Amino acid sequence: MKIEWTKTALGRRGFLKGATALGAAAALPVGLGGRAMAAEGGTVRVRSYGDMQSIDPAYSKGVIDEEIHAAIYNKLIQYKPGREWDWQMDAAAMIEQGDDTHIKFALRDDIGFTNGFGAMTAEDVKFSFERIVDEATDSPNKPDMGPLSHVEVTGEREGTIVLKEPFAPLWSIALPYITGNIVSKNAWEAAGGKATTDPLAESGPYLRDSWSPKEKTVLKRNPDWKGEAPAWDTIEILPIDDENTAEIAFEAGELDFTRVSLGSVERYRAGVPNGGTLLEYPSLYYAWLGMNLDHPKLQNKKLRQAIQHAIDVPSVLEAAYFGAVEPSTGIIAPGLAGHRPQSLVPPQADFAKAAELLAESGETNVTLKLDTLNKTTFTTAAQVIQATLAQIGITVEVNVLESGAFWASADNEDLQLVLNRYSMTPDPYYATSWFTTEQVGHWNWEQFSNDEFDKIHAEASQLTDLAKRDEMYRRAQDLMEESGAYRFLTHEATPVIHSAGVVPALRPDGLALLRYFGTA
Amino acid sequence: MLLYATRRFGLALLILIVAVTVMFLMIRAVPGDPVQIMLGPRATPELQARLTAELALDQPIWKQLLIFYGNLMQGDLGIDVFSGRSVTAIVFEQLPHTLALIFASILWSALLGIGLGAYAAAHPNTLIDRIAAALSVSFVAAPAFVVALLSLLIFAVHLQWFPAIGAGEGFWGRFDHLVLPAFAIGLSWVGYIARLVRASMLEVMGESHIRTARAFGIHERRVVMVYALRIAILPVVTVIGVGMGFLLSSAVFAEIVFARPGLGKLVIDSITTRNYPIVMGSVLISTGLFVVSTAMADLINAWLDPRARTAA
Repeated sequence: MKIEWTKTALGRRGFLKGATALGAAAALPVGLGGRAMAAEGGTVRVRSYGDMQSIDPAYSKGVIDEEIHAAIYNKLIQYKPGREWDWQMDAAAMIEQGDDTHIKFALRDDIGFTNGFGAMTAEDVKFSFERIVDEATDSPNKPDMGPLSHVEVTGEREGTIVLKEPFAPLWSIALPYITGNIVSKNAWEAAGGKATTDPLAESGPYLRDSWSPKEKTVLKRNPDWKGEAPAWDTIEILPIDDENTAEIAFEAGELDFTRVSLGSVERYRAGVPNGGTLLEYPSLYYAWLGMNLDHPKLQNKKLRQAIQHAIDVPSVLEAAYFGAVEPSTGIIAPGLAGHRPQSLVPPQADFAKAAELLAESGETNVTLKLDTLNKTTFTTAAQVIQATLAQIGITVEVNVLESGAFWASADNEDLQLVLNRYSMTPDPYYATSWFTTEQVGHWNWEQFSNDEFDKIHAEASQLTDLAKRDEMYRRAQDLMEESGAYRFLTHEATPVIHSAGVVPALRPDGLALLRYFGTA
Repeated sequence: MLLYATRRFGLALLILIVAVTVMFLMIRAVPGDPVQIMLGPRATPELQARLTAELALDQPIWKQLLIFYGNLMQGDLGIDVFSGRSVTAIVFEQLPHTLALIFASILWSALLGIGLGAYAAAHPNTLIDRIAAALSVSFVAAPAFVVALLSLLIFAVHLQWFPAIGAGEGFWGRFDHLVLPAFAIGLSWVGYIARLVRASMLEVMGESHIRTARAFGIHERRVVMVYALRIAILPVVTVIGVGMGFLLSSAVFAEIVFARPGLGKLVIDSITTRNYPIVMGSVLISTGLFVVSTAMADLINAWLDPRARTAA
């Protein structure tokens, strides 16, 4: 059957009319003048890997919130952008360590809060710090404030931070990071002591202009800011979970700054589109293979040592991290006190030694289960480990878990091998805190328990002698490795790209310090 | 028709209750301590205990379910654990983005698919029909994520005709940002609908009422457009109704690839972080959408074809 349609005669004129209409339609979305690019009109667009959760530093969920908080609030001191960990003055005009437990400070006299909440005073500092450690606040960030006792207010803008015991991370975590943000006492008290997602009073070089959940956070220049003028009128922070999407957005000119995937590093080394630049920073994260010391299958130390020697770290890093990262020597990254120049077990596998250790262990037909997160990086690493351990006759079953199930591994009594990765702040105290005896059953999944390690963790955080701290944390990692429960893999890396018009200000681990972003 | 509609919506309500209850039980069966995941490693035991009590996670599951439905009856979907905001507000902030994406995808794919299918049916076994068939099958076979990435690279990066990410602002901004995601998830539906319409049209064109219409001397275009297409389109209506569910799941990946806000991304993020109130709020709304759209499809079918009403 053939159905005849009434045909429209399509002559040359008709074709031209139609083509013109189609062309016009195609041009419509282009706005007839091409797309607006990022870094235009005083606006810089940066990517965050998630959306803001809370505007209240006490309830900050970490880096994502802190990127915003650090721009709209002030701290006594801030991280200094650069390749070396250091801090610089922010709200403090003066800050000095009187003795091990007393830190005196004086505030600048030109910082005020928005919404009519007046000048920043020492009372605001006292309120901001003490509420973090106050039980009633229930702040998940309380451990970062360490043994804070209280803040003595000695003048309108002067005060003394009083600690119960010495706490070295005060200068590397407590003051320049999440818990160091100073909020307005009056504003918070007027709101009942807690802010959710709307700022109550801001004081930084930028103000939060708007927040569209899962879409965009917009920061605008604070017109009343008296410090060094910020370079950008507007900062748009776009929550983009997927790194590939962020890379495409950058290449389309819609982003000025983003972290990129390790798989893309080689491509960007050859050139970044739109005149952009690739910057490669080390990361503070640490990834390792852990062995559960309490599991019946892993009681034999020689077996654990055989596993340590049979894992070829360079092969794991080549396959899982595209060769864009370096092997680690422990849980403390380069640049921090306590970093070991080399591990006890070299990164390269020594199959002969591994086989020898396995023979000495007397274990035969060893079959182990390796738990890992369902991320390509980790599953690839697990497969390489599976293959290398097979070379000495150890069979590994890879057990891939969804994140919720994986992070509940403390409850998994059958946990044997685990491929793990923890985040880190710029102080070794943070790293060792997860491997103490107290953490067995919580985050110390290897069930590693060592009195000397626990003692080092407790004492080293109180030392202000950098050389002594360095030595103690190195020893702590030696103890971990000697237990045979750990095969350290990498600290990963933070490769970022930025457009030609932007001068990014970054911490030594590549995280953005937005308030210091400049223009080229 | 009223009786049919009442019965159909009653069934929809029942399906909604069953689906939400199953989801409620499933999310609680997922391993991992939700409070620990939600609060992170540094939360104090006191804080964990308080949140456990707030979310009633220390209660037996049946009691948690009763609390959930009790609150739901009062229009209370709970409070987001992280931001302290109302779940209803959060879900309804995201909903318009997902709805816009789904409707834009359905709209363009239905218009093009029906047109392509009808035109192919009107010219069976011709070159045009074969081209339409090849195109339709290609569209169906093209994985949406490949289409999404290719369209991003071509239209956003290379040609810079359309934006790559976000949802845009203002009417034209939002329209502009919808084009690529709607294209990516709607393309396979074009092929599917085209094949369906062609097959259905060819069947209908052989029926006696079409012969009668022709015998009465009704113009061929009217026969095709009014008498044949009205019947041939019935399966498309049903497919579109059911397709809402599939498009909701496609929206999840589109929202991730195009970094768009939306319900799908909200659900994924919330499941990962075990944010139960948001998960249940989002599931309730998305299941409701699916159930209502399939019910609407049935009602439209019944309206277009009285036999459907009688059969039910």
